[in-house]
Amino acid sequence: MSALLEIKDYRLDIKTFDGRIKVLDGIDLSVERGDTLGIVGESGCGKTVLVRSVMGIGPAAGERMSGTLSFDGQSLEGLSEAGWRKLRGVRISMIFQDPMTYLNPLLTIGRQLGDVVAAHARARGKSAPSRRERRARAKDLLERVRIPDPEQCVDQFPHQLSGGMRQRVLIALALAGDPELLIADEPTTALDVTIQAQILALLRDLVTRLDLTVVMISHDVGAIAAIARRIAVMYAGVVVEQGETRALLRQPRHPYTQGLLAAIPELEGDKGELAAIPGTIPDLIAPPSGCRFHPRCSRATEICAATKPAMLSAGKDHAVACHHAFD
Amino acid sequence: MPLPATMPSTEPLLSVQGLCKTYTLPNGAKVPAVDDVDFSVAPGEVLGVVGESGSGKSTIARLVLRLIEPSAGSVRFDGQDLTALSGEGLRIVRRDMQLVFQNPHSALNGRHTILDAVAEPFRIHRLASGAELERHVDRLLDIVGLPRAFKYRYPHELSGGQKQRVCIARAVALNPKLLVLDEPTSALDVSVQAQVLKFLQELQQELNLTYVFISHDLAVVRYLCDRLLVMNRGRIVEQGESDAIFRSPREDYTRELIAAVPRLPRN
Repeated sequence: MSALLEIKDYRLDIKTFDGRIKVLDGIDLSVERGDTLGIVGESGCGKTVLVRSVMGIGPAAGERMSGTLSFDGQSLEGLSEAGWRKLRGVRISMIFQDPMTYLNPLLTIGRQLGDVVAAHARARGKSAPSRRERRARAKDLLERVRIPDPEQCVDQFPHQLSGGMRQRVLIALALAGDPELLIADEPTTALDVTIQAQILALLRDLVTRLDLTVVMISHDVGAIAAIARRIAVMYAGVVVEQGETRALLRQPRHPYTQGLLAAIPELEGDKGELAAIPGTIPDLIAPPSGCRFHPRCSRATEICAATKPAMLSAGKDHAVACHHAFD
Repeated sequence: MPLPATMPSTEPLLSVQGLCKTYTLPNGAKVPAVDDVDFSVAPGEVLGVVGESGSGKSTIARLVLRLIEPSAGSVRFDGQDLTALSGEGLRIVRRDMQLVFQNPHSALNGRHTILDAVAEPFRIHRLASGAELERHVDRLLDIVGLPRAFKYRYPHELSGGQKQRVCIARAVALNPKLLVLDEPTSALDVSVQAQVLKFLQELQQELNLTYVFISHDLAVVRYLCDRLLVMNRGRIVEQGESDAIFRSPREDYTRELIAAVPRLPRN
Protein backbone atom coordinates (compact mmCIF):
# COMPACT_ATOMS: atom_id res chain seq x y z
CA MET A 1 0.00 0.00 0.00
CA SER A 2 1.14 3.55 -0.71
CA ALA A 3 -0.21 6.71 0.88
CA LEU A 4 -3.08 8.07 -1.19
CA LEU A 5 -3.53 11.09 1.03
CA GLU A 6 -0.65 12.65 2.89
CA ILE A 7 -1.03 15.57 5.28
CA LYS A 8 2.20 16.96 6.72
CA ASP A 9 2.52 19.61 9.41
CA TYR A 10 -0.60 21.29 8.09
CA ARG A 11 -1.53 24.57 9.75
CA LEU A 12 -4.49 26.78 9.06
CA ASP A 13 -5.42 30.17 10.49
CA ILE A 14 -8.66 31.91 9.71
CA LYS A 15 -8.79 35.66 10.02
CA THR A 16 -11.82 37.06 11.80
CA PHE A 17 -12.71 40.43 13.28
CA ASP A 18 -11.60 39.21 16.69
CA GLY A 19 -8.22 37.97 15.52
CA ARG A 20 -6.64 34.96 13.88
CA ILE A 21 -8.20 31.65 14.86
CA LYS A 22 -5.52 28.98 14.90
CA VAL A 23 -7.86 26.31 13.61
CA LEU A 24 -5.34 23.61 12.76
CA ASP A 25 -1.94 23.31 14.36
CA GLY A 26 0.47 20.95 12.68
CA ILE A 27 -1.66 18.05 11.48
CA ASP A 28 0.20 14.92 10.34
CA LEU A 29 -1.97 12.21 8.87
CA SER A 30 -1.56 9.75 6.09
CA VAL A 31 -4.11 7.44 4.54
CA GLU A 32 -2.96 4.41 2.60
CA ARG A 33 -4.78 3.38 -0.54
CA GLY A 34 -7.68 1.08 0.36
CA ASP A 35 -7.63 2.07 4.01
CA THR A 36 -10.40 3.60 6.13
CA LEU A 37 -9.55 6.41 8.53
CA GLY A 38 -12.00 7.82 11.06
CA ILE A 39 -11.40 11.27 12.48
CA VAL A 40 -13.14 11.76 15.82
CA GLY A 41 -13.52 15.00 17.68
CA GLU A 42 -16.00 17.36 19.24
CA SER A 43 -17.38 20.49 17.62
CA GLY A 44 -14.74 23.08 16.89
CA CYS A 45 -11.84 20.62 16.86
CA GLY A 46 -11.15 21.36 13.20
CA LYS A 47 -12.11 18.04 11.67
CA THR A 48 -14.48 19.49 9.08
CA VAL A 49 -12.11 22.31 8.12
CA LEU A 50 -9.37 19.72 7.64
CA VAL A 51 -11.30 17.52 5.22
CA ARG A 52 -12.66 20.56 3.41
CA SER A 53 -9.06 21.60 2.76
CA VAL A 54 -8.51 18.19 1.20
CA MET A 55 -11.50 18.83 -1.07
CA GLY A 56 -10.28 22.32 -1.95
CA ILE A 57 -13.39 23.85 -0.42
CA GLY A 58 -11.64 25.29 2.63
CA PRO A 59 -12.56 28.70 3.98
CA ALA A 60 -11.51 31.02 1.19
CA ALA A 61 -11.27 34.40 2.87
CA GLY A 62 -8.56 35.35 5.30
CA GLU A 63 -6.86 32.00 5.61
CA ARG A 64 -3.18 31.39 6.03
CA MET A 65 -1.69 27.97 5.85
CA SER A 66 1.55 26.10 5.88
CA GLY A 67 2.57 22.49 5.60
CA THR A 68 1.62 20.17 2.79
CA LEU A 69 -1.40 18.32 1.53
CA SER A 70 -0.83 15.80 -1.19
CA PHE A 71 -3.07 13.39 -3.01
CA ASP A 72 -1.56 10.42 -4.85
CA GLY A 73 1.83 12.11 -4.77
CA GLN A 74 0.49 15.39 -6.18
CA SER A 75 0.63 18.52 -4.05
CA LEU A 76 -2.73 20.21 -3.59
CA GLU A 77 -1.25 23.61 -2.89
CA GLY A 78 -1.63 26.31 -5.46
CA LEU A 79 -3.75 23.97 -7.53
CA SER A 80 -5.72 25.97 -10.08
CA GLU A 81 -9.50 25.76 -10.22
CA ALA A 82 -9.07 23.78 -13.45
CA GLY A 83 -6.75 21.42 -11.57
CA TRP A 84 -9.27 21.05 -8.76
CA ARG A 85 -11.98 20.21 -11.26
CA LYS A 86 -9.99 17.17 -12.31
CA LEU A 87 -9.83 16.00 -8.69
CA ARG A 88 -12.84 17.24 -6.81
CA GLY A 89 -15.84 14.98 -7.23
CA VAL A 90 -13.83 12.93 -9.71
CA ARG A 91 -10.97 11.33 -7.79
CA ILE A 92 -11.89 12.76 -4.36
CA SER A 93 -15.54 12.84 -3.46
CA MET A 94 -17.50 13.84 -0.40
CA ILE A 95 -20.77 13.05 1.35
CA PHE A 96 -22.23 15.53 3.75
CA GLN A 97 -24.06 15.46 7.03
CA ASP A 98 -27.55 16.60 6.24
CA PRO A 99 -29.21 14.72 3.39
CA MET A 100 -32.12 17.15 3.50
CA THR A 101 -30.18 20.20 2.34
CA TYR A 102 -27.83 18.89 -0.33
CA LEU A 103 -30.41 17.85 -2.89
CA ASN A 104 -32.30 20.26 -5.12
CA PRO A 105 -35.98 19.96 -4.16
CA LEU A 106 -37.14 20.98 -7.64
CA LEU A 107 -35.32 18.35 -9.69
CA THR A 108 -35.88 14.62 -9.87
CA ILE A 109 -33.26 12.27 -8.44
CA GLY A 110 -32.56 11.01 -11.97
CA ARG A 111 -31.95 14.51 -13.28
CA GLN A 112 -29.59 15.38 -10.41
CA LEU A 113 -27.60 12.18 -10.86
CA GLY A 114 -27.64 12.63 -14.65
CA ASP A 115 -26.23 16.16 -14.39
CA VAL A 116 -23.36 14.90 -12.25
CA VAL A 117 -22.70 12.03 -14.65
CA ALA A 118 -22.57 14.53 -17.54
CA ALA A 119 -20.23 16.83 -15.58
CA HIS A 120 -17.87 13.95 -14.92
CA ALA A 121 -17.85 13.02 -18.59
CA ARG A 122 -16.91 16.62 -19.42
CA ALA A 123 -14.19 16.64 -16.74
CA ARG A 124 -12.70 13.52 -18.28
CA GLY A 125 -12.84 15.06 -21.75
CA LYS A 126 -15.45 12.63 -23.05
CA SER A 127 -18.46 13.51 -25.16
CA ALA A 128 -21.68 14.35 -23.34
CA PRO A 129 -23.75 11.25 -22.55
CA SER A 130 -27.19 11.01 -24.14
CA ARG A 131 -30.34 11.33 -22.09
CA ARG A 132 -30.76 7.56 -22.20
CA GLU A 133 -27.17 6.96 -21.10
CA ARG A 134 -27.55 9.37 -18.21
CA ARG A 135 -30.73 7.69 -17.04
CA ALA A 136 -29.17 4.23 -17.28
CA ARG A 137 -26.11 5.38 -15.35
CA ALA A 138 -28.34 7.03 -12.69
CA LYS A 139 -30.23 3.76 -12.19
CA ASP A 140 -26.97 1.89 -12.04
CA LEU A 141 -25.70 4.22 -9.30
CA LEU A 142 -28.93 3.91 -7.32
CA GLU A 143 -28.66 0.16 -7.54
CA ARG A 144 -25.12 0.37 -6.25
CA VAL A 145 -26.34 2.09 -3.05
CA ARG A 146 -29.08 -0.55 -2.68
CA ILE A 147 -32.10 1.60 -3.38
CA PRO A 148 -34.89 -0.97 -3.65
CA ASP A 149 -36.58 0.32 -6.81
CA PRO A 150 -34.15 2.44 -8.90
CA GLU A 151 -36.57 2.56 -11.83
CA GLN A 152 -39.12 4.39 -9.69
CA CYS A 153 -36.55 6.41 -7.75
CA VAL A 154 -35.05 8.20 -10.79
CA ASP A 155 -38.40 9.90 -11.39
CA GLN A 156 -38.97 10.89 -7.78
CA PHE A 157 -38.30 14.21 -6.08
CA PRO A 158 -36.26 14.46 -2.86
CA HIS A 159 -39.33 15.13 -0.68
CA GLN A 160 -40.77 11.77 -1.70
CA LEU A 161 -37.81 9.96 -0.13
CA SER A 162 -37.07 9.27 3.51
CA GLY A 163 -33.93 10.61 5.18
CA GLY A 164 -32.13 7.28 4.81
CA MET A 165 -33.01 7.04 1.12
CA ARG A 166 -31.83 10.62 0.55
CA GLN A 167 -28.52 9.80 2.21
CA ARG A 168 -28.22 6.85 -0.18
CA VAL A 169 -28.84 9.21 -3.11
CA LEU A 170 -26.08 11.51 -1.80
CA ILE A 171 -23.74 8.55 -1.61
CA ALA A 172 -24.71 7.64 -5.19
CA LEU A 173 -23.91 11.22 -6.26
CA ALA A 174 -20.52 10.96 -4.57
CA LEU A 175 -19.81 7.67 -6.36
CA ALA A 176 -20.81 9.01 -9.79
CA GLY A 177 -17.23 9.89 -10.74
CA ASP A 178 -15.77 6.57 -9.56
CA PRO A 179 -13.68 8.31 -6.90
CA GLU A 180 -10.61 6.79 -5.28
CA LEU A 181 -11.01 8.73 -2.05
CA LEU A 182 -14.40 9.19 -0.40
CA ILE A 183 -14.72 11.72 2.39
CA ALA A 184 -17.76 11.28 4.63
CA ASP A 185 -18.56 14.21 6.92
CA GLU A 186 -20.88 12.96 9.70
CA PRO A 187 -22.80 10.82 7.19
CA THR A 188 -25.18 9.35 9.76
CA THR A 189 -25.57 12.10 12.34
CA ALA A 190 -28.93 13.32 11.06
CA LEU A 191 -30.39 9.82 10.86
CA ASP A 192 -32.30 7.56 13.24
CA VAL A 193 -30.34 4.68 14.79
CA THR A 194 -31.90 1.92 12.72
CA ILE A 195 -31.30 3.92 9.51
CA GLN A 196 -27.81 4.80 10.70
CA ALA A 197 -27.06 1.09 11.06
CA GLN A 198 -28.19 0.52 7.45
CA ILE A 199 -26.09 3.38 6.06
CA LEU A 200 -23.02 2.23 8.01
CA ALA A 201 -23.50 -1.28 6.63
CA LEU A 202 -23.81 0.14 3.11
CA LEU A 203 -20.60 2.18 3.51
CA ARG A 204 -18.73 -0.87 4.81
CA ASP A 205 -19.98 -2.87 1.88
CA LEU A 206 -19.00 -0.16 -0.66
CA VAL A 207 -15.50 0.07 0.77
CA THR A 208 -14.85 -3.59 0.03
CA ARG A 209 -16.81 -3.82 -3.23
CA LEU A 210 -15.43 -0.66 -4.88
CA ASP A 211 -11.99 -0.73 -3.31
CA LEU A 212 -12.52 2.78 -1.93
CA THR A 213 -10.26 4.70 0.38
CA VAL A 214 -12.39 6.41 3.02
CA VAL A 215 -11.92 9.27 5.44
CA MET A 216 -14.94 9.56 7.70
CA ILE A 217 -15.32 12.26 10.29
CA SER A 218 -17.75 12.20 13.17
CA HIS A 219 -18.27 13.16 16.76
CA ASP A 220 -19.81 9.72 17.25
CA VAL A 221 -17.07 7.29 18.23
CA GLY A 222 -19.47 4.35 17.81
CA ALA A 223 -20.28 5.22 14.20
CA ILE A 224 -16.58 5.71 13.41
CA ALA A 225 -15.65 2.41 15.04
CA ALA A 226 -18.19 0.67 12.81
CA ILE A 227 -16.36 1.83 9.66
CA ALA A 228 -12.78 2.77 10.31
CA ARG A 229 -9.74 0.50 10.48
CA ARG A 230 -7.75 3.39 11.91
CA ILE A 231 -8.83 6.28 14.11
CA ALA A 232 -7.37 9.75 14.64
CA VAL A 233 -8.60 11.73 17.63
CA MET A 234 -8.59 15.51 17.26
CA TYR A 235 -8.76 18.12 19.98
CA ALA A 236 -8.64 21.89 19.41
CA GLY A 237 -6.94 21.66 16.03
CA VAL A 238 -4.42 18.97 16.94
CA VAL A 239 -4.33 15.22 16.35
CA VAL A 240 -3.71 13.95 19.88
CA GLU A 241 -3.76 10.23 19.23
CA GLN A 242 -4.03 7.89 16.29
CA GLY A 243 -3.88 4.20 15.66
CA GLU A 244 -5.64 0.99 14.78
CA THR A 245 -9.28 1.28 15.90
CA ARG A 246 -9.51 -1.61 18.34
CA ALA A 247 -6.15 -1.01 19.96
CA LEU A 248 -6.83 2.68 20.37
CA LEU A 249 -10.31 2.26 21.84
CA ARG A 250 -9.31 -0.60 24.11
CA GLN A 251 -6.23 1.14 25.38
CA PRO A 252 -6.52 4.88 24.87
CA ARG A 253 -3.32 6.64 25.91
CA HIS A 254 -4.16 10.31 25.64
CA PRO A 255 -6.03 11.83 28.61
CA TYR A 256 -8.46 13.50 26.18
CA THR A 257 -9.25 10.22 24.42
CA GLN A 258 -9.71 8.57 27.80
CA GLY A 259 -11.99 11.41 28.92
CA LEU A 260 -14.00 11.30 25.71
CA LEU A 261 -14.59 7.55 25.99
CA ALA A 262 -15.49 7.79 29.68
CA ALA A 263 -18.09 10.47 28.85
CA ILE A 264 -20.05 8.15 26.55
CA PRO A 265 -22.93 6.43 28.36
CA GLU A 266 -22.87 2.63 28.01
CA LEU A 267 -25.63 0.48 26.54
CA GLU A 268 -24.43 -2.70 28.18
CA GLY A 269 -22.93 -3.82 31.44
CA ASP A 270 -22.45 -1.66 34.48
CA LYS A 271 -23.99 1.79 34.12
CA GLY A 272 -21.20 3.18 36.25
CA GLU A 273 -20.53 6.86 36.62
CA LEU A 274 -20.29 9.18 33.67
CA ALA A 275 -17.06 11.08 33.79
CA ALA A 276 -17.31 14.58 32.38
CA ILE A 277 -14.21 16.39 31.17
CA PRO A 278 -13.96 19.53 33.32
CA GLY A 279 -13.87 22.91 31.61
CA THR A 280 -14.70 23.84 28.05
CA ILE A 281 -12.89 23.80 24.72
CA PRO A 282 -10.32 26.60 24.44
CA ASP A 283 -10.64 29.78 22.47
CA LEU A 284 -8.45 29.16 19.44
CA ILE A 285 -7.66 32.83 18.94
CA ALA A 286 -5.37 32.47 21.95
CA PRO A 287 -4.94 28.71 22.28
CA PRO A 288 -3.23 27.30 25.39
CA SER A 289 0.55 27.08 25.12
CA GLY A 290 2.29 23.72 24.87
CA CYS A 291 -0.28 20.94 24.84
CA ARG A 292 -3.63 22.48 23.94
CA PHE A 293 -5.40 20.09 26.33
CA HIS A 294 -3.29 20.94 29.40
CA PRO A 295 -5.72 23.38 31.13
CA ARG A 296 -8.35 20.61 31.32
CA CYS A 297 -5.98 17.73 32.00
CA SER A 298 -5.63 16.11 35.43
CA ARG A 299 -2.15 14.87 34.60
CA ALA A 300 -0.77 18.21 33.40
CA THR A 301 2.59 19.39 34.73
CA GLU A 302 4.89 22.30 33.87
CA ILE A 303 6.23 20.70 30.73
CA CYS A 304 2.68 20.46 29.31
CA ALA A 305 2.26 24.23 29.37
CA ALA A 306 5.75 24.78 28.00
CA THR A 307 6.21 22.41 25.05
CA LYS A 308 3.93 20.89 22.50
CA PRO A 309 4.22 17.11 22.88
CA ALA A 310 5.53 15.12 19.91
CA MET A 311 3.80 12.03 18.55
CA LEU A 312 5.28 9.03 20.35
CA SER A 313 4.81 5.42 19.43
CA ALA A 314 2.50 3.56 21.80
CA GLY A 315 2.70 0.21 20.06
CA LYS A 316 2.33 -1.14 16.56
CA ASP A 317 0.38 1.46 14.57
CA HIS A 318 -0.59 3.48 17.63
CA ALA A 319 0.83 6.91 18.43
CA VAL A 320 0.02 9.51 21.03
CA ALA A 321 0.98 13.15 21.59
CA CYS A 322 1.21 13.43 25.36
CA HIS A 323 4.11 14.07 27.72
CA HIS A 324 2.60 11.76 30.32
CA ALA A 325 1.17 8.97 28.17
CA PHE A 326 3.51 6.40 29.66
CA ASP A 327 3.70 7.56 33.29
CA MET B 1 -54.97 4.09 36.41
CA PRO B 2 -56.23 6.42 39.15
CA LEU B 3 -55.55 4.97 42.57
CA PRO B 4 -57.81 5.48 45.58
CA ALA B 5 -57.38 8.83 47.27
CA THR B 6 -56.50 7.09 50.52
CA MET B 7 -53.05 6.32 49.13
CA PRO B 8 -51.63 9.78 48.48
CA SER B 9 -48.01 8.66 48.52
CA THR B 10 -48.42 6.40 45.52
CA GLU B 11 -50.75 8.63 43.55
CA PRO B 12 -49.07 9.41 40.22
CA LEU B 13 -48.04 12.99 39.64
CA LEU B 14 -48.92 12.68 35.99
CA SER B 15 -51.34 10.23 34.48
CA VAL B 16 -52.28 10.05 30.85
CA GLN B 17 -55.16 7.99 29.48
CA GLY B 18 -56.29 7.25 25.97
CA LEU B 19 -54.30 10.19 24.69
CA CYS B 20 -54.55 10.81 20.94
CA LYS B 21 -53.40 13.54 18.61
CA THR B 22 -54.43 13.31 15.00
CA TYR B 23 -53.38 15.78 12.34
CA THR B 24 -55.36 16.21 9.16
CA LEU B 25 -53.40 16.72 5.97
CA PRO B 26 -54.56 19.15 3.27
CA ASN B 27 -55.81 16.17 1.25
CA GLY B 28 -58.01 15.06 4.13
CA ALA B 29 -55.86 12.13 5.23
CA LYS B 30 -55.56 11.64 8.98
CA VAL B 31 -52.15 11.18 10.54
CA PRO B 32 -52.24 9.79 14.08
CA ALA B 33 -49.15 11.38 15.68
CA VAL B 34 -50.04 9.95 19.07
CA ASP B 35 -52.42 7.03 19.14
CA ASP B 36 -54.17 5.89 22.30
CA VAL B 37 -51.37 6.27 24.79
CA ASP B 38 -51.67 5.41 28.52
CA PHE B 39 -48.93 5.96 31.09
CA SER B 40 -48.32 7.49 34.49
CA VAL B 41 -45.37 8.96 36.34
CA ALA B 42 -44.95 8.75 40.11
CA PRO B 43 -43.57 11.71 42.06
CA GLY B 44 -39.77 11.67 42.04
CA GLU B 45 -39.64 9.24 39.14
CA VAL B 46 -37.65 9.65 35.93
CA LEU B 47 -39.59 8.37 32.95
CA GLY B 48 -37.77 8.01 29.65
CA VAL B 49 -39.63 8.23 26.34
CA VAL B 50 -37.59 6.77 23.48
CA GLY B 51 -38.30 6.35 19.83
CA GLU B 52 -37.11 7.34 16.39
CA SER B 53 -38.15 10.49 14.56
CA GLY B 54 -41.87 10.54 13.90
CA SER B 55 -42.63 8.18 16.76
CA GLY B 56 -44.68 10.84 18.55
CA LYS B 57 -42.40 11.41 21.51
CA SER B 58 -42.20 15.19 21.18
CA THR B 59 -45.95 15.37 20.55
CA ILE B 60 -46.43 13.63 23.89
CA ALA B 61 -44.31 16.30 25.57
CA ARG B 62 -46.44 19.03 24.07
CA LEU B 63 -49.70 17.28 24.91
CA VAL B 64 -48.68 16.67 28.51
CA LEU B 65 -48.02 20.39 28.97
CA ARG B 66 -51.13 21.19 26.94
CA LEU B 67 -49.16 23.32 24.53
CA ILE B 68 -51.28 21.60 21.90
CA GLU B 69 -54.82 20.27 22.29
CA PRO B 70 -55.34 16.51 22.35
CA SER B 71 -57.78 14.95 19.88
CA ALA B 72 -58.96 12.59 22.60
CA GLY B 73 -57.98 11.35 26.03
CA SER B 74 -57.12 12.95 29.33
CA VAL B 75 -54.05 14.28 31.12
CA ARG B 76 -54.25 14.39 34.91
CA PHE B 77 -51.53 16.33 36.65
CA ASP B 78 -51.26 16.61 40.43
CA GLY B 79 -54.89 15.63 40.91
CA GLN B 80 -56.33 17.99 38.30
CA ASP B 81 -57.68 17.24 34.86
CA LEU B 82 -55.56 19.47 32.62
CA THR B 83 -57.79 19.01 29.65
CA ALA B 84 -60.67 20.63 31.59
CA LEU B 85 -58.68 23.70 32.65
CA SER B 86 -58.37 27.00 30.87
CA GLY B 87 -57.26 30.58 31.44
CA GLU B 88 -56.06 31.45 34.93
CA GLY B 89 -56.45 27.90 36.23
CA LEU B 90 -54.19 26.52 33.51
CA ARG B 91 -51.66 29.31 34.04
CA ILE B 92 -51.34 28.43 37.72
CA VAL B 93 -50.92 24.70 37.08
CA ARG B 94 -48.28 25.41 34.47
CA ARG B 95 -46.01 26.88 37.12
CA ASP B 96 -45.55 23.33 38.33
CA MET B 97 -44.67 21.87 34.96
CA GLN B 98 -41.79 23.13 32.86
CA LEU B 99 -40.17 22.25 29.58
CA VAL B 100 -36.54 22.19 28.45
CA PHE B 101 -36.04 22.18 24.69
CA GLN B 102 -33.55 20.38 22.52
CA ASN B 103 -31.62 23.25 21.07
CA PRO B 104 -30.29 25.69 23.67
CA HIS B 105 -28.97 27.93 20.91
CA SER B 106 -32.46 28.83 19.75
CA ALA B 107 -34.30 28.56 23.07
CA LEU B 108 -32.83 31.78 24.45
CA ASN B 109 -33.60 35.26 23.16
CA GLY B 110 -30.34 36.65 21.79
CA ARG B 111 -31.21 40.19 22.86
CA HIS B 112 -31.89 39.27 26.47
CA THR B 113 -29.17 38.91 29.06
CA ILE B 114 -28.95 35.73 31.11
CA LEU B 115 -30.45 37.75 33.98
CA ASP B 116 -33.50 38.61 31.84
CA ALA B 117 -33.84 34.99 30.72
CA VAL B 118 -33.75 33.52 34.21
CA ALA B 119 -35.89 36.31 35.70
CA GLU B 120 -38.64 35.92 33.10
CA PRO B 121 -40.67 33.23 34.91
CA PHE B 122 -40.79 35.40 38.05
CA ARG B 123 -41.92 38.39 36.02
CA ILE B 124 -44.59 36.43 34.17
CA HIS B 125 -46.07 35.09 37.37
CA ARG B 126 -45.44 38.41 39.20
CA LEU B 127 -43.64 36.63 42.01
CA ALA B 128 -40.63 38.83 42.60
CA SER B 129 -38.99 42.06 41.51
CA GLY B 130 -35.99 44.26 42.20
CA ALA B 131 -33.35 43.04 44.61
CA GLU B 132 -35.40 40.00 45.57
CA LEU B 133 -35.61 38.94 41.94
CA GLU B 134 -31.88 39.30 41.56
CA ARG B 135 -31.36 37.12 44.64
CA HIS B 136 -33.53 34.43 43.06
CA VAL B 137 -31.48 34.58 39.86
CA ASP B 138 -28.22 34.28 41.82
CA ARG B 139 -29.56 31.26 43.66
CA LEU B 140 -30.60 29.60 40.39
CA LEU B 141 -27.24 30.25 38.76
CA ASP B 142 -25.64 28.65 41.84
CA ILE B 143 -27.89 25.62 41.43
CA VAL B 144 -26.95 25.09 37.80
CA GLY B 145 -23.28 25.76 38.53
CA LEU B 146 -22.78 28.93 36.52
CA PRO B 147 -20.83 31.94 37.83
CA ARG B 148 -23.12 34.75 39.03
CA ALA B 149 -21.25 37.16 36.75
CA PHE B 150 -22.90 35.39 33.81
CA LYS B 151 -26.04 37.43 34.62
CA TYR B 152 -24.77 40.28 32.50
CA ARG B 153 -23.78 38.15 29.56
CA TYR B 154 -25.72 37.47 26.39
CA PRO B 155 -26.42 33.98 25.05
CA HIS B 156 -23.81 34.26 22.27
CA GLU B 157 -21.11 34.62 24.92
CA LEU B 158 -21.94 31.19 26.37
CA SER B 159 -21.13 27.69 25.17
CA GLY B 160 -23.86 25.18 24.29
CA GLY B 161 -23.62 23.38 27.62
CA GLN B 162 -23.74 26.68 29.51
CA LYS B 163 -26.80 27.80 27.54
CA GLN B 164 -28.55 24.52 28.32
CA ARG B 165 -27.83 25.15 32.01
CA VAL B 166 -29.47 28.57 31.68
CA CYS B 167 -32.52 26.91 30.11
CA ILE B 168 -32.64 24.45 32.99
CA ALA B 169 -32.26 27.27 35.55
CA ARG B 170 -35.24 28.98 33.96
CA ALA B 171 -37.25 25.79 33.97
CA VAL B 172 -36.65 25.08 37.68
CA ALA B 173 -37.06 28.76 38.69
CA LEU B 174 -40.57 28.38 40.11
CA ASN B 175 -39.91 25.07 41.89
CA PRO B 176 -41.90 22.97 39.45
CA LYS B 177 -42.97 19.45 40.29
CA LEU B 178 -42.52 18.12 36.78
CA LEU B 179 -39.78 18.81 34.26
CA VAL B 180 -40.32 17.67 30.68
CA LEU B 181 -36.96 17.46 28.92
CA ASP B 182 -37.20 17.13 25.15
CA GLU B 183 -33.84 15.83 23.88
CA PRO B 184 -31.95 18.18 26.21
CA THR B 185 -28.49 16.89 25.29
CA SER B 186 -28.86 16.05 21.59
CA ALA B 187 -27.33 19.32 20.44
CA LEU B 188 -24.34 18.96 22.76
CA ASP B 189 -20.95 17.29 22.41
CA VAL B 190 -20.46 14.07 24.38
CA SER B 191 -18.15 15.54 27.00
CA VAL B 192 -20.62 18.39 27.55
CA GLN B 193 -23.53 15.94 27.45
CA ALA B 194 -21.88 14.03 30.30
CA GLN B 195 -21.70 17.26 32.33
CA VAL B 196 -25.37 18.07 31.71
CA LEU B 197 -26.56 14.50 32.41
CA LYS B 198 -24.67 14.31 35.69
CA PHE B 199 -26.03 17.70 36.64
CA LEU B 200 -29.63 16.70 35.75
CA GLN B 201 -29.28 13.60 37.88
CA GLU B 202 -28.00 15.56 40.88
CA LEU B 203 -30.67 18.21 40.45
CA GLN B 204 -33.41 15.61 40.33
CA GLN B 205 -32.24 14.06 43.58
CA GLU B 206 -31.64 17.41 45.27
CA LEU B 207 -35.01 18.96 44.41
CA ASN B 208 -36.92 15.65 44.29
CA LEU B 209 -38.09 16.48 40.78
CA THR B 210 -40.10 14.29 38.46
CA TYR B 211 -38.75 14.05 34.92
CA VAL B 212 -40.26 13.05 31.62
CA PHE B 213 -37.09 12.63 29.60
CA ILE B 214 -37.53 12.39 25.83
CA SER B 215 -34.65 11.11 23.76
CA HIS B 216 -33.66 9.09 20.73
CA ASP B 217 -30.41 8.10 22.44
CA LEU B 218 -30.87 4.79 24.21
CA ALA B 219 -27.64 4.92 26.18
CA VAL B 220 -28.53 8.35 27.58
CA VAL B 221 -31.98 7.11 28.61
CA ARG B 222 -30.49 4.03 30.21
CA TYR B 223 -28.16 6.20 32.25
CA LEU B 224 -30.83 8.54 33.59
CA CYS B 225 -34.24 6.86 33.65
CA ASP B 226 -36.04 4.58 36.11
CA ARG B 227 -38.79 3.60 33.72
CA LEU B 228 -39.13 3.62 29.96
CA LEU B 229 -41.72 4.02 27.24
CA VAL B 230 -40.62 2.76 23.84
CA MET B 231 -42.60 4.50 21.10
CA ASN B 232 -43.10 3.65 17.46
CA ARG B 233 -45.50 5.34 15.05
CA GLY B 234 -47.47 7.08 17.76
CA ARG B 235 -47.98 4.01 19.90
CA ILE B 236 -46.29 2.65 23.00
CA VAL B 237 -44.54 -0.53 21.94
CA GLU B 238 -43.21 -1.47 25.33
CA GLN B 239 -43.04 0.04 28.80
CA GLY B 240 -41.44 -1.01 32.02
CA GLU B 241 -38.41 -0.75 34.28
CA SER B 242 -35.51 0.66 32.29
CA ASP B 243 -32.99 -1.95 33.48
CA ALA B 244 -35.38 -4.80 32.68
CA ILE B 245 -36.06 -3.51 29.17
CA PHE B 246 -32.37 -3.22 28.39
CA ARG B 247 -31.64 -6.63 29.90
CA SER B 248 -34.44 -8.49 28.14
CA PRO B 249 -36.55 -6.47 25.72
CA ARG B 250 -39.88 -8.21 25.04
CA GLU B 251 -40.76 -6.61 21.72
CA ASP B 252 -38.96 -7.08 18.40
CA TYR B 253 -38.97 -3.35 17.76
CA THR B 254 -37.18 -2.63 21.05
CA ARG B 255 -34.65 -5.36 20.31
CA GLU B 256 -34.04 -3.92 16.85
CA LEU B 257 -33.60 -0.43 18.29
CA ILE B 258 -31.09 -1.59 20.89
CA ALA B 259 -29.20 -3.72 18.38
CA ALA B 260 -28.88 -0.84 15.91
CA VAL B 261 -26.68 1.26 18.21
CA PRO B 262 -23.02 0.86 17.25
CA ARG B 263 -20.94 -0.61 20.08
CA LEU B 264 -17.47 0.41 21.09
CA PRO B 265 -14.80 -2.17 21.58
CA ARG B 266 -14.01 -1.87 25.27
CA ASN B 267 -11.94 -3.74 27.77
